[in-house]
Amino acid sequence: MKLKSVTLKTFTTLHTWVGLAAGLALFVAFYAGAITVFHHELRHWQAAGAADAPRGTLADMQRLLDAVLERHPAAREHVGMMFPGDEAPQPIAYWQDAQGAWLFATPANLDGSPQLPQAGLSELINELHYALGIPVAGIYVMGIVSLLYGLALISGVVIHLPQLAKDLFALRPGRNLKRYWQDAHNVIGVLSLPFHAMFAVTGALLCLMFLLMTALNPLIFDGKLMAALPAAMDTYPLREKAPAEAPLGTLAHWRGRAIAAAKAQGLADFEPAYLKLRLAGNASSEIEITGASPRSFAPLGAVALDASTGDVLRIQLPGARDANHATLGALYALHFGEYGNAVVRWLYFLLGLGGAFLFYSGNLLWIETRRKRRQEPQARGALVLARLTVGVCLGLCVAISAAFVAAPSGGERWTCFASWAACIAWAAWRRPIRAAQELLWLAAVLSAFVPVAHGIASGWWLWRSAAAGQGALLGVDLVALAMAATFGALAHATARRARDGDRHSVWAG
Amino acid sequence: MWGRALAGLVPGFFVSAGLIGLIGWSLPGPWQSALVGSIAGFFPLWTFVIAASFAFADARRAWLCWSVLAFASFAALALLRATALVA
Repeated sequence: MKLKSVTLKTFTTLHTWVGLAAGLALFVAFYAGAITVFHHELRHWQAAGAADAPRGTLADMQRLLDAVLERHPAAREHVGMMFPGDEAPQPIAYWQDAQGAWLFATPANLDGSPQLPQAGLSELINELHYALGIPVAGIYVMGIVSLLYGLALISGVVIHLPQLAKDLFALRPGRNLKRYWQDAHNVIGVLSLPFHAMFAVTGALLCLMFLLMTALNPLIFDGKLMAALPAAMDTYPLREKAPAEAPLGTLAHWRGRAIAAAKAQGLADFEPAYLKLRLAGNASSEIEITGASPRSFAPLGAVALDASTGDVLRIQLPGARDANHATLGALYALHFGEYGNAVVRWLYFLLGLGGAFLFYSGNLLWIETRRKRRQEPQARGALVLARLTVGVCLGLCVAISAAFVAAPSGGERWTCFASWAACIAWAAWRRPIRAAQELLWLAAVLSAFVPVAHGIASGWWLWRSAAAGQGALLGVDLVALAMAATFGALAHATARRARDGDRHSVWAG
Repeated sequence: MWGRALAGLVPGFFVSAGLIGLIGWSLPGPWQSALVGSIAGFFPLWTFVIAASFAFADARRAWLCWSVLAFASFAALALLRATALVA
């Protein structure tokens, strides 16, 4: 395909600048996001010793619900619960207190605490993923970053269009290293384009949905958008509070009714995962039970019941849901990789790491394009970007591995941010190529230490997890070792660059 | 660059909102039943509009074109609703 040279030039400039503006944040989002794919396994891994403990039962969950409703009047208005299962072995209840702050209760802690129990590590990495770990404002920053990312994808495809077909599978190693990196950047960008386009759309939506709805409401929805939302997004009908009271049904009864309702829709293996209960004790009380039906696209669906009588009020299940719930379910499933089996999650993990490489290589290409070939002092901008790329990207790899090492004994949060800040400072001070090597070695050592720290803290050493068939524990440890080997190989390659590479570069040793 | 970027951001926003409104209201059934899809369609459309702004020869044309299109889409939506062709 032919494009006018002026168009190509404009879109190249656009691609360069949106890439620079968003690249570092996108690296964080993809590296942390790739790990977040396995958040269930991470919780399991961090809950040291929980693998030994028996899994909570429905009776435990009933006792938790009764106690929470009795102790916390705010929970009677609205309470959510997680069924004991793969994600959390014990049931959890959560509600908002009178000030609007979330509280989480377990059978061991009926008063509730502001922290989701035993989820420190997976929550931390999830926060890095969607908000760079920045409270409140971070999610909006990431929303804007997602929009820039969408622009980078479109402009990237436009500038690559003329050679798209010819160079699709080209990966040319050889003397021209820039060509090689450019090929790698292009091939990963083009082959994973559908994956990236989906994240640009769903990422922006998840971060900016409420801002967008506030803006669109008066423009095209006559100010009636907010009133239409519950019907579009919830399953229970949000009935008005009745003047009369009515006793609540039991969890076992609700669970049975929900499974039966799903079975009537042809979903034989609907497995309740969490529930929402509102107006407990009132005659209008209602409950929404959400669960997964494996082997369906967008597997999460919900059954809403009258919480006193157990009558089915509404259903939104795979194969029997309206356009809004089907769209919402598809967007969620696509973004979170919650469909299909483990192969899909591993694919998301690998494509996520590939995405991180895309942004890292983009920055390196920017520096290389502006390299001064006949003098050793390089442009200030290139040096600053080299320092930032090393400090932020490789520093994040160090910080996340450090958080994994700290996690089995708690303290992962401050470990992560302190080590990340130290890495950025280190990269600002050292020659970029030295800092890159040192941070990569540090990441390798810390990653290799992850299974050791976990073994010491929990007694679940690699071989014991393997012998007991604890796939999640074994998987996290093995991936940590694989990452250690990868970081080591990258450090080795970086050392070779420092030794043999061109001296006219910010990467000179 | 900045002039065209702003054309995509400001009048481009209203173009996208107007077109999403037209689609949402024109689909079968009330707009409420395609609410999530309409909202989900906004960002990809807006991103394309912003990117397309850079295909204009200069900022003035981009502003002019998007402003006219935004006005036209909102006018069309108002007309459709006034004649009760959509609900």
